[in-house]
Amino acid sequence: MELTNKQHIPYWHWIPAAFALSGIIVFIFATYGPPASSSGFVSTLKGFLEWVAPDYVAAKAHYKAIPGPGSWLFAFALGMAIGGFVAGRTSKDIPVRDMPPIWKRRFGDSRAKRYAATFLGGFLILFGSRLAGGCTLGLFISGSTQLAVSGLYFGVVIFAVAMLTARLIFGKVAEQEDIQ
Amino acid sequence: MTIIWLGLFSGIAFGFVVQRVGATDAHRMARSHLMLDADIPRFMLLAVALSAVGLFGLQSVGVGRVLPLPTSIVATGLAAVIFGIGWGLTGYCPGTTWAAAGEGRMDAVFALLGGLAGAALFAHLHEILVPLLYDPTNVGQITLTDLFGNQAIAVAMLVVVFGLCTWGIGKLWKNS
Repeated sequence: MELTNKQHIPYWHWIPAAFALSGIIVFIFATYGPPASSSGFVSTLKGFLEWVAPDYVAAKAHYKAIPGPGSWLFAFALGMAIGGFVAGRTSKDIPVRDMPPIWKRRFGDSRAKRYAATFLGGFLILFGSRLAGGCTLGLFISGSTQLAVSGLYFGVVIFAVAMLTARLIFGKVAEQEDIQ
Repeated sequence: MTIIWLGLFSGIAFGFVVQRVGATDAHRMARSHLMLDADIPRFMLLAVALSAVGLFGLQSVGVGRVLPLPTSIVATGLAAVIFGIGWGLTGYCPGTTWAAAGEGRMDAVFALLGGLAGAALFAHLHEILVPLLYDPTNVGQITLTDLFGNQAIAVAMLVVVFGLCTWGIGKLWKNS
């Protein structure tokens, strides 16, 4: 596949995008406090479990620590999904794919395989986030913005391990990968 | 009620920007991790440096709320390893999972479901795992201000280090 460097790039440039994101982050610190997104998963679960197993929720420390769906944290997570939806619908150029091309090249066309892998990956990122107390946003970005050592430590390790994992998984096809 | 609308508004804006910069695309994330695409990591690091300066400005006029999380040497490190494996495998982190699922990426919907399962399992084991892994090596809510003794110097150090990393990624990653 021959692609030239002159092709149209559908994404925002990273510098203005970083200014936009930091504007939003500072707005969040001013109007709420440290932003977080893995807590939204716990809020969602709490809302569901309060309905099916209220006694269980009332007894568990993790659900006591995170507010349910009537909270900023849940509204923010829901907002992220709406923001993604609106952004996806209003962009004609950014491809929305169920499977990354690099994954297809490495593991073939099986959707079941990809979905099983993302289910497992989702499981790992949330299990890890809840153990650390935050995720890329709630611990690395929020924490580093507040100069917290926890955020910097978490950030260094997640980048290092993710880069190593990606190399182990996709390393073979990385060099031939040229799709934007 | 205002707080709910603020959360929703902030989330929509955040989800919109991360989609536009391409962070909801697992293909781009994989290329970032493989050092083939420098834009997403540079975007993240520059956003942190700018946010740190902005937050310092807010704090100097007495606005906003901060809550740095504690550092547990074992739990924070182990959690980061588990997280890194999941991030490298899928190309999604918790925040982009919400946005990518909203965008209509089916693999992100499965990441979201897996995430709910992972969060539920941790919440169930919290009473066992936190005293075992988190508490023994918890060194508290330490920040760079504690290390440098002055907040302005700490912010300046963070900006310099993140700025150098952003520049270094531009040099070391292939396509930049």
